[in-house]
Amino acid sequence: MNVAGAMERRTESQQVLHLLPHLSASAFPRRVAVRSEGRQISYQELDALSDAVAAALQSLGVAKGDRVGIYLPKSVASVVSIYSILKCGGVYVPFDPDAPAERLALIAKNCGIQAVMTNSSKLGGLEAVASKGAPIASAVLVDYDLEAAAEASHPGGRLKVLSWKEASGSGKPSVVPVSPDDTAYILYTSGSTGVPKGVTISHRNSMSFVVWAAECLGLKEDDVVVCHAPLHFDISVFSVFSTCRAGGTVLMLPDRASTFPAQLSSLIEREGVTVWYSVPSVLILLTLYGSLSKRELSKLRAVVFAGEVFPAKYLRQLIAMVPRPRYLNWYGPTETNVCTSYEVEKGSDILSAPPIGRACSYAETFAMTDDGRLVSGPGESGELYVGGPTVMQGYWADPEKTAKLLVDDPRAPGSGVRFYKTGDLVTLDGGGNYLYLGRRDGMVKTRGYRVELGEVEAAIYQHPAVREAVVVAVPDELVGNRLHAFVSPNVGADLTKEDVLAFCGGKLPKYMVPDSMSFMTSIPKTSNGKMDRVALAEGVLRGAGTS
Amino acid sequence: MSSPDEGQTYAEKALADYITAEASPNPAFLPITRDTKLIELGILDSLSILKLVGFLEEKFGTKVDPEDVVSENFETIAAITAYVSKKRGGS
Repeated sequence: MNVAGAMERRTESQQVLHLLPHLSASAFPRRVAVRSEGRQISYQELDALSDAVAAALQSLGVAKGDRVGIYLPKSVASVVSIYSILKCGGVYVPFDPDAPAERLALIAKNCGIQAVMTNSSKLGGLEAVASKGAPIASAVLVDYDLEAAAEASHPGGRLKVLSWKEASGSGKPSVVPVSPDDTAYILYTSGSTGVPKGVTISHRNSMSFVVWAAECLGLKEDDVVVCHAPLHFDISVFSVFSTCRAGGTVLMLPDRASTFPAQLSSLIEREGVTVWYSVPSVLILLTLYGSLSKRELSKLRAVVFAGEVFPAKYLRQLIAMVPRPRYLNWYGPTETNVCTSYEVEKGSDILSAPPIGRACSYAETFAMTDDGRLVSGPGESGELYVGGPTVMQGYWADPEKTAKLLVDDPRAPGSGVRFYKTGDLVTLDGGGNYLYLGRRDGMVKTRGYRVELGEVEAAIYQHPAVREAVVVAVPDELVGNRLHAFVSPNVGADLTKEDVLAFCGGKLPKYMVPDSMSFMTSIPKTSNGKMDRVALAEGVLRGAGTS
Repeated sequence: MSSPDEGQTYAEKALADYITAEASPNPAFLPITRDTKLIELGILDSLSILKLVGFLEEKFGTKVDPEDVVSENFETIAAITAYVSKKRGGS
């Protein structure tokens, strides 16, 4: 049986994400669905195990529409958790497993998370999150990847804990009817006012992309697809769901896989990876320090990157070392998933960063200038708008922000067709491809992650000895941007750089903690009294402001 | 910076100071000792490792082969100093 065909034969109302492992289990019961650090699980096992854990979640009271956290490193267990939550009609909310407890508590409070999937080694961390005022009441230990932890009991603590033995032995869940317009997951991204915002995605939003992506790359059951991005980053959606739809194997890379580029390239060779998808900064590290020319990578047939601009010189070097695969640049904010795609022409000279390309088949895109004209060719630039079935339902519990960014089609006011205002400035090249120019606001990308400078500043301002703070993005070829903080302490305050950075480390995920900082007695202002970010960033680039 | 352990060598102290200053680790992990799990605890990531490689090359005159930048050689300060002394043909 062909899974894609079976999927299409189903009525539209059955196009939901958690049907994917079930269909692949019928077609390819013994093929490996997920592999991670020596552990693996077949489709048949994945389907059965996620059924059992779904039943366990139901026994804890998880019902349709309930948000359930996933607080796990990338692993076989994390994929089992995703499908278990979806099978009870729940909404999965991936936590950054390394984020400070305080930030995770904000997220859990924002969307009212009561149950969390975790494992024995992360349980202490989860207790810490729960103690920061989060409504979390219970935890399910998904110890699939841990040695001899299944029997562990966890008395004490404030959480009701279900052991792996109890969870995995729970039988079949009651069937919950789920429609494509029900919410499937919420991905939290940096918010400019200091509170992360929850991008809320339905099954239809996700599935429209998942099906397109699997077909775009011609994924098949013998593909081995990496999942490099963490689950709270939407790049993971492709790896987890498109691979499952094809009956292929998703290789969940350990969270610190890119720390050692030469080891990562060995792993790509050893595991026979056929499709790679990550942010460019990881590919740049592999290009510079991964000894790629010494690896046998003949199985690799597609390399996809997204999330930031890939500088031409590194892309050229990478293609020269690994010439065989197709190279694709995908673009799309979390709010719309991937909405444009560009395939790099390997034969021609790559002199500038690749365009973000044209709209995917399901997406409708246009760019509008500040004075309301449509961008129609080179030389004009405007903000990109995206419409279509992948556009999010909204920001969780934030109708105001949702209304601001999900707008009526400005070309046809009153039509009721919603478009997402991306905040990204684009132009067109001669071939009709969009070229990314930059942002309209204080959002920057670092290591592929979205960072609202305002969120970093808000964290620094909470330090009692800080009078003023401004964070600027300093362009960097390797990671997109580095963050530099300027801090003006209260008069007489005894404040060190280490104090400020450690304070940030307690509130922000590591990629949002400034890479460097300097003290100033006062922050320079522009003529209208705003902090002069441009002058400050230029100062850092020239080396004047760094210390 | 970190207080020197008993028997801490010059190289170990220099590395502990460098990592404390550059990687701004979570204060819960301080002081950095010769056995602190630098990778496991997320104190060093891919970019800070590359900066550290530059530091090793400059400070100790060691040429670091990209193939040597692997977890065994960088998981602790003890592992880094062992690697450096091996590269320099030391004990």
